[in-house]
Amino acid sequence: MVCRKGVESIDILLTLLYLFIFPGFIFLFAFSLFTEYLDRKIYARMQRRVGPPFLQPFADLVKLSAKEDVVPENAERFMFTAAPIIGLAAIFAAFLYLPIVSSTGLHSFNGDLIVVLYLLTIPTLAMFLGGWYSGNVFGQKGGMRVASLLFSYEIPFFLTLLTPALIEGSWKMADIVTFEITHPLVFIISFLGFVIGLIALQGKLERLPFDIPEAETEIVAGPLVEYSGRRLALFRLARDAEMVVGAGLLAVVFLAGPEPIVHLEPVYLSWIVGALVFLAKTLFVIFLLILIKSAVARIRTDQMISFAYKWLIPLTLVQIFIAIIVRFLGGI
Amino acid sequence: MFKGLVKWARIKSPWILHMNCGSCNGCDIEILAALIPRLDAERFGVLLKGSPRHADVLVCTGPVTKQMKERLKRVYDQMPEPKFVVVVGQCGSSGGIYQGAYGVEGGIDKVIPVNAYIPGCPPRPDAIADGLIKLLASIAKGGNP
Repeated sequence: MVCRKGVESIDILLTLLYLFIFPGFIFLFAFSLFTEYLDRKIYARMQRRVGPPFLQPFADLVKLSAKEDVVPENAERFMFTAAPIIGLAAIFAAFLYLPIVSSTGLHSFNGDLIVVLYLLTIPTLAMFLGGWYSGNVFGQKGGMRVASLLFSYEIPFFLTLLTPALIEGSWKMADIVTFEITHPLVFIISFLGFVIGLIALQGKLERLPFDIPEAETEIVAGPLVEYSGRRLALFRLARDAEMVVGAGLLAVVFLAGPEPIVHLEPVYLSWIVGALVFLAKTLFVIFLLILIKSAVARIRTDQMISFAYKWLIPLTLVQIFIAIIVRFLGGI
Repeated sequence: MFKGLVKWARIKSPWILHMNCGSCNGCDIEILAALIPRLDAERFGVLLKGSPRHADVLVCTGPVTKQMKERLKRVYDQMPEPKFVVVVGQCGSSGGIYQGAYGVEGGIDKVIPVNAYIPGCPPRPDAIADGLIKLLASIAKGGNP
């Protein structure tokens, strides 16, 4: 009995470690800031600039947190404050379901892929609400743009992430990951889906060429126009964390996440290797996102919607059709 | 220690807001030239922001016209504390050749408190960058310049 108690307490300790330190909140926090640094640095190098120093995102965060707390007169105080917190909380929750150290995450169940997809939609909604309740015309305009562009990238993003699930026949990310590593042909079949997912993720993160909601030259800063101080810091952190989680999701679903797992004797060692593989794949996806950002300019709202409906969604349907045929022919 | 951290962050990440209060556009072009890739202001953490709510440093140009006086005050009030004001150009510093004109209020410091002046008509882009860095250095020393 005593022995059992000891084992349980160790499990609780490990779970807490997973939740809060690695790969939980603190790690995600640090990795998001590092991603922002990478984003700005590579972007700068591609423009033949030197770029910001390493601790720049951290300095921005600290500075914003120490600034005066302003709530505009026209803003609705509760929603104005709640919006960034809701967005950040949804992202952090989504991160816990990703399989990072091994093929099962903290808690793996049938349908966790769909849960992560829905959790990743919430920050967009928070952005819209924050802009809408800030009581500024530019904020409301930006909020409307966020909401109206939602459908143009969300449909291809959802559909394309479901193709590996269709090939495999399970909504569980752990199953998808292990299936992909035993059947490498899936990578070739779902390559088109990966490209579509990359473009749709760029739209989801509101980065170039889809930064229409924020369009600095048109509507100042879009939904964030009235945000200052720590609320703005939370929104920026949520944006960076969303980039990490979105890229991580693509890496899990299309690039087999932490696999191939090397089984080493103390189980901790194989977890560390798994996490390193996962990080390498995530950084690869993030690098592709930065390449897209530095290569293109902003497009108009109507151009984005017609691009999504004329190209992205038909191509996604082609990808799904391929997946169904593969399944019909008896799998791979 | 926490205070030191905040001070370090403040020096490392000055986000600027550019405002033209009636300038002839000469200084404004030079400010834009100070932000080009060749000088790369992002090395020092400088970002040009569109909204006064995001900004830490207000970079003003030109003599304040009577039309612009209220707007300048309002933009200054919209910025969250702590905030700093840098004036670029001769006209902004003292009114310049527009001193005493019927539609002109005078220099920027007649309307809002100013932390740093960058003289010149117009100042060179590297002078503007240097002025901003001197402002940051004076914040590092503590107290207002």
